[in-house]
Amino acid sequence: MADPVLSVKNLAVEFDTYGGTVQAVRGVDFDVERGKTLAIVGESGCGKSVTVQSIMGLTPMPPGRITSGSAMMGDIDIIGRKTINGEDIRGSQIGMIFQDPMTSLNPTMNIGSQIAETLIVHRGYSSKQAFARAIELLDMSKIPEAAKRAKQYPFEFSGGMLQRAMIAMAIACEPPILIADEPTTALDVTIQAQILDLLMELQRNNGMSIILITHDLGVVARMAEHVLVMYAGQIVEHGPVDEIFYRSGHPYTMGLRAAMPTNDPNAEQRLTPIDGSPPDLFHPPVGCGYFARCPHAMRICAEQPPQAHQLSAAHAAKCWLHHEANTQQVAQINLRDHAGEEPS
Amino acid sequence: MWRYTFKRLLQGVITVWFIATATFAAMHLVPGDPLASDKAVSEEIRANLEAKYGLNEPVWKQYTIYLGNLAQGDFGISFTQKNRLVNDIIREHFPVSATLGLLAVLFAGLGGVIWGALTALYRNRLPDIIIMFLVILGISVPSFVVAAFGQLGLVSLNNLAGFNVLPVGGWGTVAHMLVPAMVLGLSTMAYLTRLMRSSMLEIVSSDFVRTAKAKGLPPTRIFTAHQLRNAVLPVITVLGPAIAAITTGGFVVELVFAIPGLGRYFVEAVQQLDYTVIMGTTVFYGAFLVFMVIAVDVIYGFIDPRVRLE
Amino acid sequence: MAEPTYTPEFATDAFEPLHIHERKHGTTRPSLSYWQDAWLRLRDNKRALISLYLVVGLLLFTLFGPLFWNVSPSVQDLDQVSKPPWASREAVIVAPYTLWHGETTTPSGSGLRTATPPNTQAVRLLWDPVPGATGGYRIYRNVFPINAQQAYGLPLGEQFDPNATYFEDRLDLKARDYYYTLVPLDDNGIELADATTLEVTVRNAITVQGALERGLVDADSNVEVGGRVTLKFHPLGTDYLGRDMLARLMHGARVSLFIGMVAPLLYVLLGVIYGAAAGFLGGRADALLMRFADFVVALPFLLFMILFKIMFGIGPGESGIMPMLIAMVILSWPATSRLVRGQILQIREEGYINASRLLGANTTYLIMRHMIPNTMGVILVTITFAVPTAIFTEAFLSFIGMGVAPPTPSWGSMCNEGIKTMLTTPHELIFPAMFISLTVLAFNLLGDGLRDALDARIRNIE
Repeated sequence: MADPVLSVKNLAVEFDTYGGTVQAVRGVDFDVERGKTLAIVGESGCGKSVTVQSIMGLTPMPPGRITSGSAMMGDIDIIGRKTINGEDIRGSQIGMIFQDPMTSLNPTMNIGSQIAETLIVHRGYSSKQAFARAIELLDMSKIPEAAKRAKQYPFEFSGGMLQRAMIAMAIACEPPILIADEPTTALDVTIQAQILDLLMELQRNNGMSIILITHDLGVVARMAEHVLVMYAGQIVEHGPVDEIFYRSGHPYTMGLRAAMPTNDPNAEQRLTPIDGSPPDLFHPPVGCGYFARCPHAMRICAEQPPQAHQLSAAHAAKCWLHHEANTQQVAQINLRDHAGEEPS
Repeated sequence: MWRYTFKRLLQGVITVWFIATATFAAMHLVPGDPLASDKAVSEEIRANLEAKYGLNEPVWKQYTIYLGNLAQGDFGISFTQKNRLVNDIIREHFPVSATLGLLAVLFAGLGGVIWGALTALYRNRLPDIIIMFLVILGISVPSFVVAAFGQLGLVSLNNLAGFNVLPVGGWGTVAHMLVPAMVLGLSTMAYLTRLMRSSMLEIVSSDFVRTAKAKGLPPTRIFTAHQLRNAVLPVITVLGPAIAAITTGGFVVELVFAIPGLGRYFVEAVQQLDYTVIMGTTVFYGAFLVFMVIAVDVIYGFIDPRVRLE
Repeated sequence: MAEPTYTPEFATDAFEPLHIHERKHGTTRPSLSYWQDAWLRLRDNKRALISLYLVVGLLLFTLFGPLFWNVSPSVQDLDQVSKPPWASREAVIVAPYTLWHGETTTPSGSGLRTATPPNTQAVRLLWDPVPGATGGYRIYRNVFPINAQQAYGLPLGEQFDPNATYFEDRLDLKARDYYYTLVPLDDNGIELADATTLEVTVRNAITVQGALERGLVDADSNVEVGGRVTLKFHPLGTDYLGRDMLARLMHGARVSLFIGMVAPLLYVLLGVIYGAAAGFLGGRADALLMRFADFVVALPFLLFMILFKIMFGIGPGESGIMPMLIAMVILSWPATSRLVRGQILQIREEGYINASRLLGANTTYLIMRHMIPNTMGVILVTITFAVPTAIFTEAFLSFIGMGVAPPTPSWGSMCNEGIKTMLTTPHELIFPAMFISLTVLAFNLLGDGLRDALDARIRNIE
């Protein structure tokens, strides 16, 4: 991939807990392209948030620990660094918005000041300038009566409005990368669409890259150019959005698709949940992490971890089904009705 | 906000009425004639008291007389001390207790916030472990023991120094107030430290502090503008009850350090069964505490925007 | 993470699909009930566990201690008054007391000196006439060395005759070191500067008759003046009336722990009933009930405890435990009732209550199966934290003389007695204070542990 803004290699993160050490992220690689949106999907606890928070230096350490890996912006590894060429990474190089806007803003500080704070710290604005700019940013984020709203406190805002304010705050210093960690999960559906539209519009206008973390495939389809599917702390499949949706290479991705409602009136399929729960990351399995839940599991899957198999130029999946020694027809498995597969 | 304040004040007045009534009821359930038990009352005083309180009238009449007097701020005449008004006693001794209490509250509040924030920042490391050990000790040792050891400490200090570094008892100068105020505030400080610590720990791992970090703010700014301010709020909410605890805890400290405060006077009055002083002091303390709690709540309302704008 | 190494050759059945049952679901763990889970978490909390043992130990101490240490808490051992546990129990047998007028058996020596070996029967001082002491002498006694401030301590008495150079001290003597100071006086009785101080180590003394009466020696054994006997054993010393501290602490524990544990149980029970009633009735009744609770909360607690104590009065021979218990229950229930009402209101809105109701559960079932188990944890924690408060209240009231009536020991009243002699015999304060502190500490830590174990929300913070 040409000219990525951010290139993450072999990132691994552990957490020490009372129960032992959790290997939350187990060797993750990906690139973020300039001006594009990269989606990371996966269920709760698969390591999506930990991945980006480690890059941002937001994982509490201890108990967290980055055991290996790098995240290159240009030729500088930003893991464990605070600044690039004197510029702070957080806030001015990478902006971030979070899942729950209701709790992600300081309840005792007005919205305008919280946005202005960023500008004062990173851009050296006077507090007056910064507040004026904060109002402009709120306006850009489509908050009506921005001047009046800027003086209000978070509890006076609705969830959607708060997320707009969060976005205004994250883009205040025009960072080249915006990380959106489940930005619409806590919002209702109509508001979700508005927030996603706002993000896309801002991306068109200032050309930033977005890392979008979500478990909502609908959001992925709408926003992303490239998709990473994470499971049990690893990337099991990645590729362009269309290939992920129409030529899924990993049974987990297929399972996610089968569990997602469609609006195709002809499709008479029931939603199929993925049985079981993710493996215990205190003791990650020797073989494939998805083995215990996979409808296509084979003997080898329990014994050896699968390698990434390139399915097309930008599409790869970590699954033994694609190994040349396998005689089953993967394409057939993929095309068959997923719902009818599971005998149990 | 003003409506809220007014509403709270009105509630406060009703509460004080309840306290006065409960006090009246309790004292009238005392077996026997309060005057009969006391030998010190002369015929003259007895006649005066009977006339003033309508002691020969039925109970409801006495109650209305009592409430009427209270409404005018008249707490009555002391039973045991000739020609002494309860109002005078309160006026004379309460400022001492209030000064001591105020110092203790300041000491407890500041100490609690500072130690609590410190322990949260050094969570599970040596400063945290040491301070939390002392806090547990502070909560578990009764106030009179702390007072006794405070005094013992003063005696040893003066003995070691060879001259009076600080007076061991009595009242008058700041030097007299220092150690008693610290002793009085200690358990409250320990309590507030615990509260501040857990509040701070909650804030440290809160979403908005994560946001502040993601914004790239320097740690000092995150600490002052985001963590401290929010973590102090729950501490302020319990200041009302803390003031109450400190005021009544003052009894012991005043006894041990020979401070001429209202608490000590109250204990003496109880020992001498000086009914009007007991009743007057109880109602006065009750009213004082009720309005202190209201004051703290109203001040809190001005600090926390969420309450302010409701 | 390093790339795993591959075996180039695969087994023949490597790619054989597996049936669902051949895969082990290593992902599920055995499920535990709420109480099992709580107990497991409490067991992992070392501090809470130690506290639990401490509480059990205290209860055993209180209930069974007197069986092993069968000494009455009210018997006075007049030979050993205010005796710390580490003091020597050896006593010299002396002749019965006879009057003394300065005669001496040891004529040698000069300056301030003792005429006979000093013991608890009497300290007899002799000195040489001081020139200029025209007005006589004044004698002081101190338990501390005389410091630069020239604090001589307790003035024992005066000899106005300048030639009467002797003094006998029989005032409340203990087996310890004393510092006697002799100050000459001038004509007008003004103290002169040249004071002399003598350090005297006083030993226990007992007469033959005394030793026989107290059963320290057998009647037929041969005891002589100048012989030695060992006084009665008091593991934790004695108090200011010579009563055994250990026995008093055990009996005091009965009072303190009785009030400390029974009062919270009673008022939490009352609070639960009241709060549950308010929560269930709802509406106007709820508002009225809670407003009344607010009033009771506003009563200044300790003042009303004292007021109630006056109100109930304590008759002769009564200990005053019951009035204190009743007063505590009357004043303390509202906090629990508020808590329980809040819980009930909250639980009533929970989905599982509606679900249960839809499945046909009646009110009794809802209360027994859902409401009580779900509020039990909170109530248990409340009781645990209420115990230290109640113990403190008892101690505080007894300390200011408003609690348990004197002959009955309680930890608070023992502290009250001990504080008066804090400077000379600190053990009388330290032991009861230590028991109060340990008990309160244990219950506080246990409460913390229980709260952490029962409340999954708070678990992660501490």
